Amino acid sequence: MPISLSTRIRFVFFVLLVANLPVQAQGQRGAQSPKSIAPLDITGYWVSVVSEDWRLRMMTPRKGDYESIPLNQEGTRVANTWDLAKDNQEGLQCKAFGVGGILRQPGRLHIEWQDEKTLKIDFDAGTQTRLLNFDKSQQAAGEKTWQGFSIAEWEGPAVGRGAPPRGNPRPTDAGGGGQGLRGGPAPPNSVMQGGSLKVVTTRFREGYLRKNGVPYSENASITEYFHRLPQHPNGDNWLLVVTIIEDPKYLSQPFYTSTQFKLEPNGSKFNPTPCKTAPPPPGK
Amino acid sequence: MPARHFILLLVSLLLLLLSTPAFAQMNLEGEWAGRYHEDQTDRIPGDVQGDFTGVPLNDAARRYAESFDVTRVNLLEHQCQPYNLPHIYRGPLQFRIWDEKDPGTQQIIAYRQYLGTYQQWRTIWMDGRPHPPEYAPHTFMGFSTGEWNGDILTVTTTHIKKEFYRRSGIPSSDLTTVVEHYIRHGNLLSHVIIATDPVYLTEPYVNSQEFVLMERGNQNWLYNCEYAMEVPKPKNQVPHFLPGKNPFMRDFANKFGLPFEAVWAGAEATYPEYLAKLEAGSISTPSNRPDNTAPRPQPPAPPTSDEIKTFHVQGNVYMLVGAGANVAVQIGDEGVLVVDTGAKPMRDKVLAAVRQLSSKPIRWIINTDADADHTGANETLSQAGMTVNGNPAAIVAHQKVLARMSDESRPSPEWPLNTFFEDSRDFYFNGEAIFLYYIPHAHADGDVIVYFRGSDVVVAGDIFLTTTYPIIDAKHGGGVDGVVTGLNKILDITVPKYLQEGGTYVIPGHGRVSDEADVLEYRDMVVIIRDRIQDMVKRGLTLDQVKAAKPGLDYDGRYGNSTSFIEAIYADLAKH
Repeated sequence: MPISLSTRIRFVFFVLLVANLPVQAQGQRGAQSPKSIAPLDITGYWVSVVSEDWRLRMMTPRKGDYESIPLNQEGTRVANTWDLAKDNQEGLQCKAFGVGGILRQPGRLHIEWQDEKTLKIDFDAGTQTRLLNFDKSQQAAGEKTWQGFSIAEWEGPAVGRGAPPRGNPRPTDAGGGGQGLRGGPAPPNSVMQGGSLKVVTTRFREGYLRKNGVPYSENASITEYFHRLPQHPNGDNWLLVVTIIEDPKYLSQPFYTSTQFKLEPNGSKFNPTPCKTAPPPPGK
Repeated sequence: MPARHFILLLVSLLLLLLSTPAFAQMNLEGEWAGRYHEDQTDRIPGDVQGDFTGVPLNDAARRYAESFDVTRVNLLEHQCQPYNLPHIYRGPLQFRIWDEKDPGTQQIIAYRQYLGTYQQWRTIWMDGRPHPPEYAPHTFMGFSTGEWNGDILTVTTTHIKKEFYRRSGIPSSDLTTVVEHYIRHGNLLSHVIIATDPVYLTEPYVNSQEFVLMERGNQNWLYNCEYAMEVPKPKNQVPHFLPGKNPFMRDFANKFGLPFEAVWAGAEATYPEYLAKLEAGSISTPSNRPDNTAPRPQPPAPPTSDEIKTFHVQGNVYMLVGAGANVAVQIGDEGVLVVDTGAKPMRDKVLAAVRQLSSKPIRWIINTDADADHTGANETLSQAGMTVNGNPAAIVAHQKVLARMSDESRPSPEWPLNTFFEDSRDFYFNGEAIFLYYIPHAHADGDVIVYFRGSDVVVAGDIFLTTTYPIIDAKHGGGVDGVVTGLNKILDITVPKYLQEGGTYVIPGHGRVSDEADVLEYRDMVVIIRDRIQDMVKRGLTLDQVKAAKPGLDYDGRYGNSTSFIEAIYADLAKH
């Protein structure tokens, strides 16, 4: 039976339309809240495991000990002027607990959703709080703070489009996407991994990369990527935060660190303490 | 267009649209150079001894590190030893990643890596293949399989050789499993290593490091190592410090003004609670720290099933596992040669396994010692075989093996009647020279090491084991110095293919296929424990006092209970 050309064309368009429906539905997820489309769950209580830079993080290094940091001449000069007593007298105890250094402090994080568009991170070290805003239309206001103003966005495989972790199948909750198939079940946030949370922070006060006065300037560029790593075979859950600090004022090249935190079952060990830096050991 | 063609086209279009979208995996290809913004002094200059911070080390690791004398790397066989997997990414490093795709499907079969430091090659298999059996050889880079979890490539590696987590002597055992995560953001690659080591760590040891994409590939990618005798030493000496005698232990703590006990504390010191202890000065000392020397997970035992597993070592030589002692089988045009025959209850299965390898007659059987787990199937295999004269296959051993088996009234068909009493014997079979080296007063007093020169395989008998400490049968003439002599003999024979890996393979009396690096670690262990006991004997300690001092503390987690070994060494040394 012959089929007319116009009928064929109409039919092809119809097929394309039907086949593409789930994709469009997924596209509409953009209208959903950042919380509801979170490709990974980083909420919970996390403890820092100080397996790297131990002596620089658990202890206060001596003045002039700026191992590993690509300081330029000005950064070196400023680091050499560090005076802990002066900081304490001037009420600047939290300079080592600002956005550029807080993640390297031994301590615990409590991450939770403050609302549908804002993640909140409480640090027990220095009793600090950061708000990660997913609403890019928000503008920073007021004075600069130790933690600054952070804009967050999800990165990585779009929800429902990535390959599911092998050996860790996603539960089959109702919804769109998942299992790498269009229109399949949605992955619950608690088990999705592989994407990341990108955070860019501005409007912060000048602070310390290290406890011993190694500086970063208030105009530094600070970008962080939060990753929840695939569950370890022993059941541990790890959060990795990659931090990139670019600071032409004090650094000769970008300063990279990656800091790991282990998930804890509850907040029983979360113990807020004030900003306080122990004096460095005597000697030189 | 005919209607049926149109419908076909339509169906194809539909299938295309409804099929799973190919997952766009993160591209990791490129050349990556390390950035050392964490632990820089340890990772790059590494000039200060005694940095144990951040590592969840247990008491076995503490003892090992305390004993470690960095001049051990002067020993010939240690000079070209590369870092192992959990260590190599921490050192100065640039590496290259590329993928290998199935030409038919364009699916990634594997990621390949070339690491400029020590010129190491890695393959990360992505095709779902299993890891090798536990009796397969280990390498410094291990055997790796990977899978994508979203944008994170997760890699699991086993079969890693023993080496160190730090140059300060914190050991990483060959039972370590490593999980890596590769995460890319633009030109930055973050690499996470989580090492689980049942021998030397109390909990997984996690590290992460950054690499930047190299835009100019003009870095140094070659590593040349040629060992040379720098400080002549007797072969049975291994540099190490006796417990409590390492003068460099506190160098790191002293240089940076750190409390030594904190540097030495292990996992406890990596958690924030430890800050309060540091401030309060209430740091545990070794005497009040909770004891973590409880028995650790034991090393892999040979398969316990009654199945015989066959493993091709190389050349003409195969290893049969599961018969008691390991059995080596050499096959070729002239027939079959078997080294050791396993335990008697397994005789039929051993014979069946040999028959699976070759239908040619078993011509020769060699016994490395007289123990029943090495000689139990002598009769069965001999009777099933045939010399060129039509007799049962000839059984060759040192004459002391015959003497012992006859003393023990073993059935005469099990006896080795082709014996020798000289230091060595050689003959040619299946196109290669075969050497038998007699090692007196080692495991017992009839030990023979067999070397297949063409296949380049050594059969060590019970002089070398990967599952336990040496078993010294003092009643039958065994002694610790003979074991050391035997291990040194193996080291003389073996030649690594490249940087202490591969080349000559060694079949141990029990355990996995090994190479020179594995024998070397074992030799070092025997010498170090012998020296510790020797020192205690000289100081007049009783056997009970020696045992209480735990001279095998750093190796018990790997080789199990050291009581018999200590008793044998003590008795041996106390005689002199």
